[in-house]
Amino acid sequence: MLIFSVFKTLTDQRVTVELKNDLCISGVLKSVDQFLNIRLDGIQVMDEERHPHMTAVKNCFIRGSVVRYVLLPAEAVDTQLLEDATRREAASQAKR
Amino acid sequence: MLPLSLLNAAQNKPMLVELKNGETFNGHLVNCDNFMNITLREVYQTNADGDRFWKLKECYIRGSTIKYLRVPDTLLDAVKEEQNRAREAGRSARGAHVSGTGNRGRGMPQRAGRGAPRGGSIRGGRGRGRGM
Amino acid sequence: MASLQGYVDHRVLLILQDGRAIVGVMAGYDQKSNVVLSDSKERVYSMEEGVEEIPLGLYLVKGDQIVLIGELDEAMDQAVDLSTVHAEPLPPIRY
Repeated sequence: MLIFSVFKTLTDQRVTVELKNDLCISGVLKSVDQFLNIRLDGIQVMDEERHPHMTAVKNCFIRGSVVRYVLLPAEAVDTQLLEDATRREAASQAKR
Repeated sequence: MLPLSLLNAAQNKPMLVELKNGETFNGHLVNCDNFMNITLREVYQTNADGDRFWKLKECYIRGSTIKYLRVPDTLLDAVKEEQNRAREAGRSARGAHVSGTGNRGRGMPQRAGRGAPRGGSIRGGRGRGRGM
Repeated sequence: MASLQGYVDHRVLLILQDGRAIVGVMAGYDQKSNVVLSDSKERVYSMEEGVEEIPLGLYLVKGDQIVLIGELDEAMDQAVDLSTVHAEPLPPIRY
């Protein structure tokens, strides 16, 4: 659930998503849901020569389960805050 | 329009089902549930390479193993009409202040009537071989 | 919520886990991202020939098979002569 919150703070940031079929897509993060399904706007496929399949696609929905990585803009993530939040969540789960 | 309402309306209609392992099943839908588990009758089963065939009287397919279903084009209009009719019925029922347990507003859409147009049979599915 | 709502009645490109690319009009979807496409066609890519479009009609795809759904800019899509496009088919998903 924590990562869901992190992604919500990253809306309107430009991210790059690498999929499990090795496709790399960059775009502006418009929304995310509990499954980490992602909506991207203004998308661009890396290595477009090799992958012309999506040239006429400008925005897309990506299923969370097929995402391998999401590259985030470093300056948009407060890693100190994220570490603290992770410890807090781990602690609250240990109590339960 | 919900995928499951389309499937419900496809009862007794021909369809092609491809499983995740590439096998295909051609037959008429007998029944289905909300998990997309389905039973078909008069089935032609094809293996993933498309070179072996089996004829089955009836078969049951677990929903989680399905990749996609191909259904007759005519079903889309049938389902849309049915939904419009259900909506109209709901509206007039509300307008007339019908009380009690009646179908108010968003009841379950009933299945297409017997007179619904029947789509032609569906030919085999895959495109140019993918060699999988 | 990363919803598919904006895509209903729009022409979309659907990429499946086995690497297939299907274009069609999104007629509906549900919570599990099962999708109904009408007037759909498979686009078969190869290096040897141009793209081949195979008509499929009305299609119900299970959500767990979906990789990506993209809204097609129809003007931009029609401007491309598919018969001149040569490309490797998209690879299937590998876990």
